Amino acid sequence: MSDQTGVNGASGHFAVSLGDFRTELAFQVDAGRILVLFGPSGAGKTTALRTIAGLVQPDAGRIDIAGRTVYADGNGAGGRPVWVEPHRRGVGYVTQQNHLFPHLTVRRNIAYGLRDRRSEPARQRVAELVERLRLDGLEDRRVWQLSGGQQQRAALARALAPHPDLLLLDEPFAALDMELRRELGSELRATVRQFDVPVILVTHSREEALALGDEVQIIDSGVTVASGPPLTALEQPGRGRVARLVGVENLLEMRVTARLTQDGTMVCAAEGRLLETPLADGCAVGDPVTVGIRASDIILAAGPLPESSARNTWAGVVSAVTLRPPGYEVTLDCDGAALRCHITGTSLEAMGIATGLPVWAIFKASSCFLLSD
Amino acid sequence: MIPRFLLGKGRADGGRHQASLGALAPAGIAATVVYVLFIGLPIVALLARAGQQEGFLAGLTGELVLQALRLTVITSVVSMVVVVVVGTPFALLLARRRSAVLRVIDTFVELPIVLPPVAAGVAMLMAFGRNGLLGPALGGLGVTLPFTTAAVIFAQVFVAAPFYIRAARIGFAGVDPTYEEVSQTLGVSPWATFWRLTLPVAWPSLLTGLTLAWARAVSEFGATIMFAGNLTGRTQTMPLAIMTAMESSLGSALALAVLLLAMSALALAALSVLLRRTGSTA
Repeated sequence: MSDQTGVNGASGHFAVSLGDFRTELAFQVDAGRILVLFGPSGAGKTTALRTIAGLVQPDAGRIDIAGRTVYADGNGAGGRPVWVEPHRRGVGYVTQQNHLFPHLTVRRNIAYGLRDRRSEPARQRVAELVERLRLDGLEDRRVWQLSGGQQQRAALARALAPHPDLLLLDEPFAALDMELRRELGSELRATVRQFDVPVILVTHSREEALALGDEVQIIDSGVTVASGPPLTALEQPGRGRVARLVGVENLLEMRVTARLTQDGTMVCAAEGRLLETPLADGCAVGDPVTVGIRASDIILAAGPLPESSARNTWAGVVSAVTLRPPGYEVTLDCDGAALRCHITGTSLEAMGIATGLPVWAIFKASSCFLLSD
Repeated sequence: MIPRFLLGKGRADGGRHQASLGALAPAGIAATVVYVLFIGLPIVALLARAGQQEGFLAGLTGELVLQALRLTVITSVVSMVVVVVVGTPFALLLARRRSAVLRVIDTFVELPIVLPPVAAGVAMLMAFGRNGLLGPALGGLGVTLPFTTAAVIFAQVFVAAPFYIRAARIGFAGVDPTYEEVSQTLGVSPWATFWRLTLPVAWPSLLTGLTLAWARAVSEFGATIMFAGNLTGRTQTMPLAIMTAMESSLGSALALAVLLLAMSALALAALSVLLRRTGSTA
C-alpha cells in the first residue's frame, strides 16, 4: 500500500482502540489531494485522524508520511517498532473549534510553529499565509475579535506555516453557515493545490464530502464500508449500509420479475408496483433486491408524460411537504409505498403542491440502483 | 428613601436587573454600610493612632521592626519559591490526570486551609521535632529543624501552599488539552508547549493564587510560634513581633501593623495591575 504513494504523500493502515471501541483504517493520499473520511458522528473518524497525528497510540499497523515511517508495530516485514512523537511528525491539525491560542495575536498564532519566529524568513512566511488566506489587516487582532470564517482561515494558516508533510482537518467548517462553508471549501482546495500538501479531511456532511474530496472513504462503526471518487462512493452506493449513511432517501424492497437484456434493464415488482432498473448480472428472476433512488433524481409532474424516455412513472398522492433548505421534500403515497422527492420552492409554487394533491413521480431506470447488503 | 448615588444605575448589563433586588435593596444597602464601617473603622483607627503615638517613628526604624521585616520578607519569598517549584507540577498533574489516588490527594490538598494553624504547628513538631517521627533520623544527619529560620519556612509553606495549588489547578484545568495537542502538531515539544502555551494562558490564576499564598505566609502566626518559636532575628516574623511589642512598646506594634497593612495593600494593587496588563496585551 505504502509503495504506491509518492514520496510526498501519506499512507498507512492501523487499528486503534478507545475503551471498547475499535477503529480500523487503511488510507492513502497524494500531495495536493484531499482524502475525505465521511461518516456519522461516533464512527471513529476523529480517532483515526488523531492516530495519524500521533495523539493516540494505535494497537497495530504502520503509518508513513512523506516517505518516513512515523509508526510501525514491528510485526510486519522488516519489523522494528517505530514511534515518532506528535511534535516530530510534521503534521498540521485543524479542529472544528479551531483552537487558536487565546493569549496570542493572529500573527503570533500563525508564527507559532515556525523556528526563529523573529527572523526574516519567518516574517515572510507569515506574510505569505496572511495574503493567501485573506487575513490582511487582521494580523494584530486577538482571536476572539475574528469572525468564525476568519478564525478557521487563521487556524489553517497556522497549520500550514511550518510546511507540514500532511494536513489533517477535523470537521473544519462544521461550525460555520452554509454560504461560508462553500466559500472556505473552494479556498481550501486552491490552497491545498498551491502548497502541494496531502490532506485528510473528516466530515459528516455529504455536500462537503462531494465538494472537497478527491477520494472519499465512508466510515461506519470503525470500518471503511466504501471508498472511491466522491461521485462513485456517495452517489451510487452499492451497499445498503452505505446508502443509509450517505442519505439515500428511498429504499424499496422488491423482487425481480423480468430481465430485459436488449435494454440492459430489468423489471422489479412489489405489491403490484413495477419498476425498471439497470440490469444486474448476479440477479435472476425471483430474487429479492433492494432498490435505492435519490430524492433529487425524481421528477414530479401534474400528469403522466405522454411520451418520455424515463422508464418509470408512478401515480401518488402528496402526503407531506417539509422545508428542506434550499428546497422542499415532498413525500408521496404511491399505493402504500412512501416515495420522497426533492424539489425547489419555485416548482412547489408553480405546481401548487399541497397535501392531498395527486401527482406523478417520474424517474429513469438509470437513477435506480441495486443495493447488495 | 434610598439615596440615588448608592443605588446607581443598576449593573453593567445596562440596568436590566434593576427591579430584581426589589424590597431587598434597602437591606443590601444597610448591610453594605455596616460592613464597610466594620472593616474601614479599625484601619482608619490604626492609621490615626499611629500618627499620634509616641515612639511610632522610632519604632518604624527600630531594631525589632527592621529585623522582623527583613526576616518576614526573606522567609516569605523563599516559601513562595518552594511553593511554586513544588506546587506548579503538582497542580498540573491534578488538573490533567484522573486517578483514584489523585482524587483522594485532591480532597486533602485544602486541609491546611481549614486546619487551625496552631494544630498544624503541633503536628509539625510531632513530625520534625527532636522527639518527632523524623527527629532521630534528622538528628543523625546533624539537622535540627524546630526553632530555626528553616522552621519558619516550613510553617509558611504548610499553611500557604494550598492557596497557590488550588488556584493553579483551576487555572490549568481551564486550558483545554486540545490546545496542547495542537501546539505539539505544530512541532513544539510538550515541555516547550508548557512554557509557551499552558503557563501563559493559566497565568492570571497562578498569579492570583501566588498573591493569596504570599499574604497567608506573611500573616502566619500560630504554626510558626508552635514550631519555630519567637526568637528575635531568627524566627520572629512581623506577626510574632507585634505580639512581643504589644507588651513593651505600642509604638513598635503600631509600626509593624502599619507596615503589614501597606504590604498587603501593595500586593493587592500589584496583582490588579498585573492582571489588567496580561488581560490586554499578552
